[in-house]
Amino acid sequence: MRRFFASFLLSLLSFLCFSPYAAIANASSAADSISTSISDSRSDYHEQLILRPLPLSALLASFNFRSNTSLSAFEAHNFRFFPRSLGQILQHAGTRELHLRFSLGRWDAESWGARPWNGAREGGTGVEMWAWLEAETDEEADHKWLTLTNALSGLFCASLNFIDSTRTTRPVMSFQPEGNHIDANAANTHLLYGVLPHEVVCTENLTPFLKLLPCKGKAGIASLLDGHKLFDSSWQTMAIDIRPVCPEDGECVLQIEQSIDMVLDIDRSKRPRDNPIPRPPPAHDMKCNTSKPYHAHDTCFPTDSAANQDWSLSQIFGRPIKGTCPLTDPTVSPVCIQVPDSRIVFASEGAIEKKNPDQTSRCFDFPAENDFEVFLPAPETQDGSVVVDQHLVKPETPLLYAERSFTGHGQERGGVQTILRNPSPDQEVEFIYMESLPWFMRIYLHTISARVDGQPGKADSLIQEVYYRPAVDRARGTQLEVRMTVPPASTVFLTYDFEKSILRYTEYPPDANRGFDVAAAVITILNRDKSVGNSRFAAYNLRTTTLLCNLPTPDFSMPYNVIIFTSTAIALAFGGMFNILVRRFVAANEGPENGLKKGVNRLKAKLAAMFKKRGSTPAVMLDGEKKME
Amino acid sequence: MPRLLASALSLRRDPRLLKLPPYLSLLCIVVGVVWLFLLPLDDYSRRTYISENALLPGQVHTYFGGSDQNVFRAYKHETDELAGKGNIEVNDKLESIAKGLGLKVGRQNFTYSSAGNTHSGQNIYAILQAPRGDATEAIVLVAAWKNVKGEPNRSGVPLVLTLARYFKRWSLWSKDIIFLFTPDSIAGPQAWVDAYHDAHDSSRVASLPLKSGALQGAIALDYTRETRFQSVHIVYDGVNGQLPNLDLINSVNHVAGGQMGMGVAIQEMWKHSNSYHDRLQTMLRGMLKQGLGLASGPHSSFIPYHVDAVTLQPFGDGWQDEMAIGRVIEGTFRSLNNLLEHLHQSFFFYFLMQKERFVSIGTYLPSAMLVAANFTIMAIALWVKSGQPEVQKVITEKTETAEEAEKLALPNPHAAMERDLFLPLVLVAACQFAGVVPLYLFNHLSESALIPAFVLFTVLSAILPFLLSNLLHTSATSTTTQQYHLIRSFSLLLLGMFLSSLATLNFSLAFLVGVFSAPLTFVRPCPNSPILKWLSMAVLYILSPTTVVFVASVLPDLDEKVGCGLGEVLRQAAFAWDVTGTYTPVVVWCVWWPAWIVGVVSVLGRPGAGDGKVKNA
Amino acid sequence: MNGGKATLGRTAGLYAGAAVLRLALFTLFPRLPDLLTGRVEISTPVTSFKRLQEGLFLYNHNVSPYDGGVYHQAPLLLPIFNLLPSFATFPIFTYLLYIAIDILSADALLRIAESGEAGSSARFTSPRRDKRWSGAVIAALFLFNPFTIATCIGRSTTVFTTCAILHAIANAISGRHFHAMVALSFASYLSMYPLLLLPPLVLLCYDRQKQPATGAPNAWIKFAATMVMDVVGALAVLFQMSFCLTGSWEFLSSTYGVQLTLSDLAPNIGLWWYFFVEMFDSFRSFFLAVFWLHLSSYVGGLSVRLRQQPLVVITLLLGIFSIFKPYPSIADASLFLGMVPLYRHVFPLLRYSFVIAAIIIYATFLAPAFYHLWIYAGSGNANFFYAITLVWGLGLSLLVCDLAFAVLRDEWEVERPEMVGKEIRQI
Repeated sequence: MRRFFASFLLSLLSFLCFSPYAAIANASSAADSISTSISDSRSDYHEQLILRPLPLSALLASFNFRSNTSLSAFEAHNFRFFPRSLGQILQHAGTRELHLRFSLGRWDAESWGARPWNGAREGGTGVEMWAWLEAETDEEADHKWLTLTNALSGLFCASLNFIDSTRTTRPVMSFQPEGNHIDANAANTHLLYGVLPHEVVCTENLTPFLKLLPCKGKAGIASLLDGHKLFDSSWQTMAIDIRPVCPEDGECVLQIEQSIDMVLDIDRSKRPRDNPIPRPPPAHDMKCNTSKPYHAHDTCFPTDSAANQDWSLSQIFGRPIKGTCPLTDPTVSPVCIQVPDSRIVFASEGAIEKKNPDQTSRCFDFPAENDFEVFLPAPETQDGSVVVDQHLVKPETPLLYAERSFTGHGQERGGVQTILRNPSPDQEVEFIYMESLPWFMRIYLHTISARVDGQPGKADSLIQEVYYRPAVDRARGTQLEVRMTVPPASTVFLTYDFEKSILRYTEYPPDANRGFDVAAAVITILNRDKSVGNSRFAAYNLRTTTLLCNLPTPDFSMPYNVIIFTSTAIALAFGGMFNILVRRFVAANEGPENGLKKGVNRLKAKLAAMFKKRGSTPAVMLDGEKKME
Repeated sequence: MPRLLASALSLRRDPRLLKLPPYLSLLCIVVGVVWLFLLPLDDYSRRTYISENALLPGQVHTYFGGSDQNVFRAYKHETDELAGKGNIEVNDKLESIAKGLGLKVGRQNFTYSSAGNTHSGQNIYAILQAPRGDATEAIVLVAAWKNVKGEPNRSGVPLVLTLARYFKRWSLWSKDIIFLFTPDSIAGPQAWVDAYHDAHDSSRVASLPLKSGALQGAIALDYTRETRFQSVHIVYDGVNGQLPNLDLINSVNHVAGGQMGMGVAIQEMWKHSNSYHDRLQTMLRGMLKQGLGLASGPHSSFIPYHVDAVTLQPFGDGWQDEMAIGRVIEGTFRSLNNLLEHLHQSFFFYFLMQKERFVSIGTYLPSAMLVAANFTIMAIALWVKSGQPEVQKVITEKTETAEEAEKLALPNPHAAMERDLFLPLVLVAACQFAGVVPLYLFNHLSESALIPAFVLFTVLSAILPFLLSNLLHTSATSTTTQQYHLIRSFSLLLLGMFLSSLATLNFSLAFLVGVFSAPLTFVRPCPNSPILKWLSMAVLYILSPTTVVFVASVLPDLDEKVGCGLGEVLRQAAFAWDVTGTYTPVVVWCVWWPAWIVGVVSVLGRPGAGDGKVKNA
Repeated sequence: MNGGKATLGRTAGLYAGAAVLRLALFTLFPRLPDLLTGRVEISTPVTSFKRLQEGLFLYNHNVSPYDGGVYHQAPLLLPIFNLLPSFATFPIFTYLLYIAIDILSADALLRIAESGEAGSSARFTSPRRDKRWSGAVIAALFLFNPFTIATCIGRSTTVFTTCAILHAIANAISGRHFHAMVALSFASYLSMYPLLLLPPLVLLCYDRQKQPATGAPNAWIKFAATMVMDVVGALAVLFQMSFCLTGSWEFLSSTYGVQLTLSDLAPNIGLWWYFFVEMFDSFRSFFLAVFWLHLSSYVGGLSVRLRQQPLVVITLLLGIFSIFKPYPSIADASLFLGMVPLYRHVFPLLRYSFVIAAIIIYATFLAPAFYHLWIYAGSGNANFFYAITLVWGLGLSLLVCDLAFAVLRDEWEVERPEMVGKEIRQI
């Protein structure tokens, strides 16, 4: 006990007083690599916040924290910026590469355009994780996976331990390792993928996430992160990616990248926390379209949808940035805003504004000790209506729009329909569509078909390759991977049927009539140029929304009644048959009498015996005979 | 099991029992009808209660109002300009407004053709995506441009737009909210719901461009008046007499009556003194609506898809304004938003006597079942009777005592006569299949031809029995008493079976048909008393399906107007059949009519002397 | 029983009529087959045509159909349907196959009826035997039974089992033991439970063998042994073929294991599914054993008690299976109801014929209504449909019991001729 405590103290000490030097030393050593891109692996720790105003008064805030530690140091249990708790788990479970996602809400691609990081940092609603494990056999891999999920569920306060064999799949085409592995496709590296669509992500997941940061959310951009704001956002995803990176020169490093992307609804976020109720504003400070002929003091055609273009950090996040994290690489500016250069942005004094060459973004450096604040004034409006696109960076259109929904109704069977729209006028899109479904959705693969909108008949030629692993009841979920293409400027409907099976009544959750969540489909768009080696890594990722599948439910209050009724029915049938088989036939007036008659006769006999002074037996016989005729 | 039955069935040798069935079935009918009239009493009906705890109706403070009134006025100006414009222009305007609110907008075209004329239009709907949720569940707010009576929904549409803007500001929605604007109140919603569940015929109805999750509930607003109102009328009858979950009605009732303090009415009972008479009237109106199975509002089309829905109609002159009904909807939506599971706790089969009293299926089902049972009883009796040889055939001499004589005199089942089933089966089956003809006729003719066709058909169906009975007698073997017994037995068995199955789907329809065809139980061939014969003929013809349909069409209907007329009724029936899939015509033409035909035939019957031979096994 | 020519002509017309009716239903109502295939009363997890298609699809794409929870049918069905032109393009061939199977079954039934075995077996001759329907009538009653038609249109694979069983009986009666045993093996291979028909079928063969049994005391033992050997050999061959086909033995657990353990609880008209939905996990295996024991317990008793009329035993067993099987469907009921008319001569002895008919018809109409209320309207719960399955089961079991009673009384009246037409009771 004491020894453990001592070692713990030691490690704490070493971390606190040792790493800053390292950081500074490293930063100075890497002074030549200032202008290199963020994805440079040599800088040991840096963080960056990118703010991008979106149409319809939304704001995308992407937090990115990255730290490296050399593999050798990692092997030697010498974690520097690398969170020790996580590191030990990874080592224990023999994990080569790990990706963990906590997501909430839905990305509105129609109005917000392409996803941040090309969708590489996001997951479907709930919790999603996949990892490359080092194991000799599948069983060993499963065992290690179990260890990993259990440990991580403890670490992140998420019920990851519910990722059991029915929720785990082994994707074949969808995922490629991001890090440089010596032998990525070797027999002893196993890719496992698990997803919990029903998991609700909330603050208890954020706290451990922040704990992993060197500055623990006390300083730097992480100080903005606060559960109320984060989980009030329209869309947010927390991602943890751990991968080995081997630059051409220098030794391999283990890189952990934590990122949080959130889309805030500006006017919702600007409400004071003590009074969040959106009461109707007083009539006089409503934004009205005065051009309307009927406009009057009591009649107002509202125009506030395009309003709320103005905001400041402390309005949105409730506080300014508390300095910078002392451990961060000073060469990477901590805050960037993506607005056209034409637009004015005020920053707190002491901050240096650096406009990037691409006319659409600027970054700020500011001293480590004092707070930092950004204010974006509302663009000047002509006659109340705002021309949005001049004041925002025009969101780039994504490579593909996907929308998935159920078809049919009733709790017996249904279908899944995915609408895939390719906006590009000339380029066809090739991608891998992956579903991992629960076993009680029995899908009929022979019904899978694609059709192009507006064209009669099927277009199954679009489906190029299908990998299918059918579900086994109570043991394994369905895994379906489809490699297909969507021709330019067209919409493709991908449909298949499934059957809903009824479960044992103990297998239903308490809210059985809500239905079961079906995990999001993962769509991995392959980049077009086939030149990039044999591994065609993902150009763009997106997830559909999750679905709610209603299964038929038994009556949960009935077990005893059912057992009794069914048993009775069987008993009746069996008893009837048995009687007919074993009893012998006699004429109605032959043989011994049955119950009632016998009783009556015995009574009569008694009476006879009482009154007449004669032996009772003849009397019985007599009566008996009389009755018998 | 067989031994249990053996004792029961051994009774069938009792002659008294053979006389019993007619009285028994009469008793069934009487008890069934009386039962119905007992229901409104306090001892049989219950107070409504909320059984889904998650709903918590009326527990939240509603904030809709204030400056939203100004917005409402503005939107009302916008929509008033559209009065009389085409469907497309209207939708263009609505789309621009909804887009301005930051909602996702979709459109859908549909074209139905029924009774020769086509009903086409374009739905438009806007989806407010739940701020933090993803598209797993949704609730719908419907505003039809015209309500069922064809009056423009003047205040309803702008109010729904205002509510959309108001709801957008809240971040607490756990389900998407879909605002649906349909050109009319029946075809539009039907097309939309069908397409939402991909149950649509894509040649007539377009698919939806964008969708959300599973529908958890729907509220329709039918708000045509432009002045202040007093109370709100809840319309809840679905297609084919399906009803929404009672919890939904209760929560609306709680919010409107309890929280907002406005009156609540049901079944067009504008003033309801909680008396027996009013309760009975409410219940009977409910039964009539249910029995007809027509769509009574935009909500009706949702209910067959297990989406609980009601329509709210403000009525009466009072001091409540648009904001009040807006707050009612807000409160109801907050309740639906609380739902963790699909509404399943409370009742789906019930009669409302008054806004807060109901009877559940357990209490009222027996009355219909009794009425249906009387047919079955009679069928069994006739079957047994058909097996009985004439008594004098089995009279035996060698009997000691009197009661023994009686006992042996009884025909016992093993000396049952050979029944020849062929003719009865064929006749009954033929009549059943003949029912397809009127069904097809009245659903595929064009409007102009409907009335002549009906008249023609009435005449034919009046003549048909005579033809049939003549056929039965001119046929080589004259039809025997036994065969008449069997004919009636089979037809009554089928009728009883259909009605008891139907009673579980649409109680009222089963009950009405059962009562109308009750005489069929008692009519019998009476060759030797013409008075009785013609009397029963008269009764049958008065209660024939065609007569009933005609009378119903000319009688003044619920709201004291004169009857809408035969053509209108037929047109509506065809429309309901083609668009909403109402199966009432099937019941009338394929269940009731054949039984009636067989009944008349058996009345006309002159059973020949030729009796089957006793078969001694 | 009238002249061969007339009979031939009539039967040919009958078969043609049945085929035409089915073809018309297939072609005039193109949506009907899929509708019926989806009905739980017709398709069970072990007989559904849609699942067969799925299995076929996987089989053609080199995925083992048994490495999954969907396909639970015998492996040899795969190559059979594989030989047909693909269903998606030429469904007509599949339809023709099913129609042909139905007619083959009807033909076997006709042979059984013409043989007169029902009325007068080797050891017992009913006094009422002359009152009987001709084979054509019985075949017609089978072919035009709505249940049979629905099964054919629904393309449930039960029809193969039905056909095999009927041919086994027909061959046994006409004394072709080996064919009978092979047919029975096919039936058992397809859906396992027909194996329970082996004892009565052996008895039937023994009674009907060409040269009457020699006086040797244990001749029948030798005979039975050979029969069992035949079945075992045939089954071994079939299993070996299946193994060669699928390349592994996992089809055993997936085909027969499912019937033994009821891992798929899809609703059907039987009594098992809801019982095991509601069953407590700790007692599941116990009650599975009990149910199977109950199902097989009838074989011995009936074979002994009705030794004189093995065909009756088979009929009653078919009736019992159609009630208490793990996954029964109306197809099994239609087989039983097709056999019942063979006993036309004891119909007058049936006590509850009308009640039974009423119950069965009521259940037939109420089951879809209640299922709709539960699954689609959502206004009723599972108990509605469950109650109807109970009623259906009781109605059929009543018919089975009543038939047994009638046959036994028929036997009894041979020794007590004076009792004909009198009231009797059982003690």
